[in-house]
Amino acid sequence: MATVEQQFEWHSGKNRSAGVPDAIEFIDVYKSFGSNKVLQGLNMGLPEGMISMILGPSGTGKSVCIKHIVGLLYPDSGDVVVHGQSVPSLSDAELFEFRRQFGVLFQDGALFGSLNLYDNVAFPLRQHTEKGEEEIAEIVNRRLREVGLGDAGQKMPNELSGGMRKRAGFARALVLDPQIVLFDEPDSGLDPVRTALLCELIKEIHAENGGTYVVITHDIMSARRVAEYIAVLWRGRIVEAGLAQDLFDSENPFVKQFLSGESAGPLGME
Amino acid sequence: MVRSVAERAYLPARNLLEEIGDMMILTGRTIVSALRPPYPYGGEFVSQFLFVLKLCWFPLLISTLAICYAAPGLQAANFLTLFGALDRLGGIFILAAVREIGPAVTAVVLAGVAGTAITADLGARKIREELDALQVLGVDPVKNLVVPRFLALMVATGLFNVYAILFGIFGGLAAELVNHQPLGPFWTTFFENADTTDLWGSVVKCTVYGAIIAIICCYKGMTASGGAEGVGRAVNQAVVLAFLAVFAFNYVFTQMLLATHPEILVIK
Ligand SMILES: Nc1ncnc2c1ncn2[C@@H]1O[C@H](COP(=O)(O)OP(=O)(O)OP(=O)(O)O)[C@@H](O)[C@H]1O
Ligand SMILES: [Mg+2]
Repeated sequence: MATVEQQFEWHSGKNRSAGVPDAIEFIDVYKSFGSNKVLQGLNMGLPEGMISMILGPSGTGKSVCIKHIVGLLYPDSGDVVVHGQSVPSLSDAELFEFRRQFGVLFQDGALFGSLNLYDNVAFPLRQHTEKGEEEIAEIVNRRLREVGLGDAGQKMPNELSGGMRKRAGFARALVLDPQIVLFDEPDSGLDPVRTALLCELIKEIHAENGGTYVVITHDIMSARRVAEYIAVLWRGRIVEAGLAQDLFDSENPFVKQFLSGESAGPLGME
Repeated sequence: MVRSVAERAYLPARNLLEEIGDMMILTGRTIVSALRPPYPYGGEFVSQFLFVLKLCWFPLLISTLAICYAAPGLQAANFLTLFGALDRLGGIFILAAVREIGPAVTAVVLAGVAGTAITADLGARKIREELDALQVLGVDPVKNLVVPRFLALMVATGLFNVYAILFGIFGGLAAELVNHQPLGPFWTTFFENADTTDLWGSVVKCTVYGAIIAIICCYKGMTASGGAEGVGRAVNQAVVLAFLAVFAFNYVFTQMLLATHPEILVIK
């Protein structure tokens, strides 16, 4: 068993400021599930108006982070602050209001199994806006075409491949033009070309609508393509965070290993 | 040794108590959200209710007919032949079929057929993160998923109880016919012992059974974890817990009913 110092040997926690205020802040967040300590004093800021990426080995708690941001999980201690609001202290009614500013793509797409693709993507519009069916149809069809599912609107989620479900979830997350967008591995399960196209799409939509984007990924190519800000997470803490270029030039052995995808370095299979 | 046994018993016991507490909270939240406007669950209620009817009517028909024909029917008739008192079978059917077997079989069939379907459905949605997505999209799963299932199961169990009692009585009639008895005396002793308390007691009891089954099955589904295997585990635990809870409640209810309505203790 590694001592605490050894466990966090590479965690310089260095945070090169992006020069803009943070839209989302994790302040000393601890979270465990039973004896499984997932977040262990996480301090992380994600800058306003940028595309941030959270990178990290499988099982370090990236998806858990996203669930904390939207108030689906609560920290054992510490605070999560979004636009100055402390998420764990919101009441149920406030939380429903608060969540309207988000678009979330869950790791497995999380499409509603009883609705076809079209209705899935239309769901947030019907739930939160007074738009007529014609207007909804126009928006939904445009979003579906963007992700290459223009003809699949009538299909049910269980008739689709994992990658197609992912893209449909992507379309659903963006349909309300949300202020904060959280993508959990939008690129996993996609072929390389589609991954590249999806990255382009993320950049385009961000340029068009603005807003704060948080993207979780394992794919270093995607990170190089779209990230403006990167936070590297391991063992429930930030190893290093900063503007993308700074991190790609980082001297930290863990960051270097992870961003170049080498097998030799501090990270093993464990 | 003693210590390790105590430790091994302590954790599961604590978890069970915690779960029961959580289910109580869920019950409270369900009742509050059912009453407080808006009421978006009408459509889901109707579809769940029809779903339960479609799934349960046939298994319940076969089960009550068979068990009432066999247990209080043939077996009790056999016993009563000893005294040449086969006409008393009607009275036994009030005690057995209306008060106990009808509701019990209804609960077993509804928990086993409809309850498991609910747990599996909600469990799969939980695993696919659909429930999380719903919450993020501003839809309250308790109001939109639990409340309609809770109400549908309560109404369905209450109504099905009457249906089960009817088919149970058919089982008794069949037992009389098999023993070459006229049916008149069966009905006489049946209505002699019948009291309105028996009918409403039975229906109220079953409605509460429905509520118990719905809460346990929804809770187990919504807290499923660990992939497809976890859904299987949740379904299994849901039926076991539902049976235990229903029979435990039956004991409490029966004691209370007998204490508050002593007249039904008198056998005529
Ligand atoms: N609801 C939960 N209950 C119990 N444990 C959980 C729960 N959610 C996550 N975990 C645990 O937390 C840890 C981190 O999970 P998480 O899904 O955040 O990993 P991740 O960084 O997203 O990994 P991946 O890249 O593989 O998706 C895992 O060990 C997981 O088992
Ligand atoms: Mg994940």
